Amino acid sequence: MSSFELINGEYSLDLTLDEAHILINLAEQLLELLGEADFSHHYTSEDPFAQIMASLGGESFGSEVAPPEDEVLKRLLPNAYADPESSSDFRRYTEQAIRSKKIAILREIREELSAIVDSDQAGHITDLDADTWLLGINDLHLALAVRLNVDENSFEYFESLPDEEPQKAIYAVYFWLGWLQESLLRILDPH
Amino acid sequence: MADRPWITIVWDDPVNLMSYVVFVFKKLFHLPHDQAHELMMKVHNEGRAVVSSGSREEMERDVQRLHEHGLWATLQREGSL
Repeated sequence: MSSFELINGEYSLDLTLDEAHILINLAEQLLELLGEADFSHHYTSEDPFAQIMASLGGESFGSEVAPPEDEVLKRLLPNAYADPESSSDFRRYTEQAIRSKKIAILREIREELSAIVDSDQAGHITDLDADTWLLGINDLHLALAVRLNVDENSFEYFESLPDEEPQKAIYAVYFWLGWLQESLLRILDPH
Repeated sequence: MADRPWITIVWDDPVNLMSYVVFVFKKLFHLPHDQAHELMMKVHNEGRAVVSSGSREEMERDVQRLHEHGLWATLQREGSL
C-alpha cells in the first residue's frame, strides 16, 4: 500500500491510479461543499468511490455568519463560542480566512493529483509540501467521518459489514486516509 | 472580574489521530513532545482540555489556527466552564 516517504529531504508519495482517483474525487467534493466549484473540468468517473460525499447527503455553503447547515461544514468550521452572538461575530471576522486556507490546500492537492489521473496510470508525487498534505488529508478524513457518523466503535462495525455492503468501501477509504496520514506523521514527527 | 483571562479549550473527537493532535499542539504552541502528548491524553481522557490562556484576541487567534488544523476548539472566560 502507498505511503509517504522522505528521501534526501523531499517528501513524496506513490499512488496507484485508483488511489489518486479516490483522493481527487474526495478533494473536489469537499471543495464544492466549501463553495469552490469553478474547475475547468471535473474528475468525476465511473469509479465506485465517486461522489461519496454527495451520495451521503449534503448541501453547499451558505452564509458566513450563521453556523453552516451541513454537518461536514459544522465540523470543519465549528462555533468558536458557546453563545451564538459571539460565535457569529467570530465567523464574520475569521471564517472567510479559515475557509480560504482549506480551499487553497485542497486545490493544491487536487492539482498534484491531476497529473497522475490525467496520465491514466499509477504515479509519483515528488517534492510535496508535507503540511499541505497533512492538513488536506485531515479535512478529508473529518468530512468522511461526519458522513459515516464515525465513533469509537466504527472499526468493529466496519469489520462486521459484509463485503457486498456499499458502505463497507467507504469505511475502507476512511480507514485508509487515517493510515496514509499516519505514514506522513511518522516521518514528520518521529517519536 | 474584567481582568479574568480567556482560555482556549480543545474538545475530544473520535476522528483526529492521537499522533496528529500531538503534532498540532507542538506546532502551534511550541510544546516539547512529552507535554504535547500529556495534553492530548487529557483531551482524550477528560473530553476536553485548556490548551492556552491570555487575552480574548490571542485566544481567538488560537481558536482560528486550531480550526484551520481541524481540531474542535472554543474559547471562553476562565472559570466559566
